Amino acid sequence: MFCFSKSIDKRNLIYGVFDDENKLINTVETVREKGIEIFDCFTPFPVHHLDTAMGISRSKLSVAAFICGATGFGLGLLLQFYMMVFDWPMNIGGKPTSFRMLPSMVPVVFECTILCTAFGLAILFFIRNKMGHGVVPDILDLRQTDDKLLIAFDSDKLTKYNIEELNTILKEKGALEINKYSGKYAVKNK
Amino acid sequence: MGHNHHIDIKQEKFEFTSKSKMISIVLLAVGLILSVIGVIQIKNHDTSSSHKHQTEVTTANTAEHASATEEHGKSWTLRFWANLLINSYYFLLFGIGGLFFVALNYIANAGWATMIKRIAEAMSSYIPIGFIILMITLIFGGKELYHWIHYEHLGLKEGMEGYDKILDGKSGFLNTKFLFFGVPFIFFIWYIFRTLLRRLSIKEDEQGGLTFFNKSVKLSAGFMVLFLFSFSIFAWIVMMSIDAHWYSTIYSVYNWGILFVTSITIISFFILYLKSKGYMELVSSEILHDLGKFMFAFCIFWAYIWVAQFLLIWYANIHEEIVYYNIRLHGYFRPLFFINLFINFFIPFLILMTKNAKRNPKTLLLAGTCILVGHWLDLYIMVMPGTMGESSGIGLLEIGMPIAFAGLFIYIVKNSLSKANLYPEKHPYIVESATYDVGV
Repeated sequence: MFCFSKSIDKRNLIYGVFDDENKLINTVETVREKGIEIFDCFTPFPVHHLDTAMGISRSKLSVAAFICGATGFGLGLLLQFYMMVFDWPMNIGGKPTSFRMLPSMVPVVFECTILCTAFGLAILFFIRNKMGHGVVPDILDLRQTDDKLLIAFDSDKLTKYNIEELNTILKEKGALEINKYSGKYAVKNK
Repeated sequence: MGHNHHIDIKQEKFEFTSKSKMISIVLLAVGLILSVIGVIQIKNHDTSSSHKHQTEVTTANTAEHASATEEHGKSWTLRFWANLLINSYYFLLFGIGGLFFVALNYIANAGWATMIKRIAEAMSSYIPIGFIILMITLIFGGKELYHWIHYEHLGLKEGMEGYDKILDGKSGFLNTKFLFFGVPFIFFIWYIFRTLLRRLSIKEDEQGGLTFFNKSVKLSAGFMVLFLFSFSIFAWIVMMSIDAHWYSTIYSVYNWGILFVTSITIISFFILYLKSKGYMELVSSEILHDLGKFMFAFCIFWAYIWVAQFLLIWYANIHEEIVYYNIRLHGYFRPLFFINLFINFFIPFLILMTKNAKRNPKTLLLAGTCILVGHWLDLYIMVMPGTMGESSGIGLLEIGMPIAFAGLFIYIVKNSLSKANLYPEKHPYIVESATYDVGV
């Protein structure tokens, strides 16, 4: 979700554990009003409205999709033109071998556009979410993959409030427990 | 699921004021006047040109002269019937599209469009009147519009002069009995489903509960199966049989593409209208965004089907198939043929590409206008080459008639909207629709 440098390693993270997504969103809203910087939220399922509550700007997915699609479109046209007009013109059914054969290029160009968009976005998805082979996933607490929702703070960046005050805020909002990240659950490379 | 907004759905009722009644009646009247002037213009033009022909070519042989006057004499009535066919078919598609949209959301178990369900329902109230106008066109203008009806009246047997093997082979389907009894039967089916779905929806508003929803889902599933066959047959006999020797297997899908994209556009236009009048405050831009996505997606779908139909015929170049595109690609229809592709695909595709464009009423209106005008042109290109041929034109008749139909359609839909609550408040998915969030 965030930039690549924002890994959980080498940070003093503290996190609150919630069991209800509405409580989590409520907490996020209150904490941001008080001016406390949230490191990230970790949820086992997508939570609606959480991104807007956290103030995350809109994903640039559609721009990436457009660029991939336009690349595919151009490559498809290039492929067809190069092969059928310049390199090896073939007479198929008496159709012209010039730009006037454009209608017969439509299927190939269309498929190339889709191919490039699909592959481009799949590759971008893996890069963006750090899901490459052998990459250590960010796990603060194993329960974040099951039924609990976490809100994490970088304790070095807490300026206005100290940790005790943050704890009381989280407890008020219905946090089940507040823990310090110890690196215990991180899946190590073999 | 998610962040539960607690929303009180404040019921609204659309008021069909005398002012808005007047506007649609004025539209109807202006359209009718323009059409009448257009018809008179064409008639005068025809008689004067044939008169000129008469005086100029005094020495011409009588057979040639007779054929020339005959061709001119039939053209104004034919042009009138062809226009009536285009418009009655086009506006009927909106009516059927409304019914289709309601049924689609029931069987897909989709909740997002619940808030705007009443608009689609109101659109389907056009079906009976649209049917009457279409049947008038078919009964009185059919003999001029469809050359297979003319052929059927000749009653030719095999071996006789003028015998047409293709038309004779299709006579099991293309005959006047089917046209005058089969088409009303199809409408009867649609009308029954429309009435039942509407009745359940109104009863649900009064009583609540899940029973009406479950019944509607079953009805919609039945409708969908029947719709698949009935709409295909309907498109074949009303539209495709104009070029009776030619056929295309994807034709009914193509017509369905027109139906869906135009109906979605009409639904979003009605939402924009109602919002501008202060109704439907709860319908958020999220729902408009989804309708915009549908418009965008089905522009592409239409273009896909268009290419699928065109490409095979163009590439194979078999003479019994290529005649259909030959007349459209050369002569009078050539510019219209390319305008059709641009106005229905490229322009809305580029306008509606971004997220903000789908949420902005102005861009939505712009793209929607392109789609509505474009698909009228699409139908024009489907009907005119096979009926009027090179002598067709776009004059006051072509401009006036859609305006008249629009006035009628708007009147009927608004009248139907005013008869029920704007929100189906006891529908099980109403809260989902009211708090709907597209995401991204």
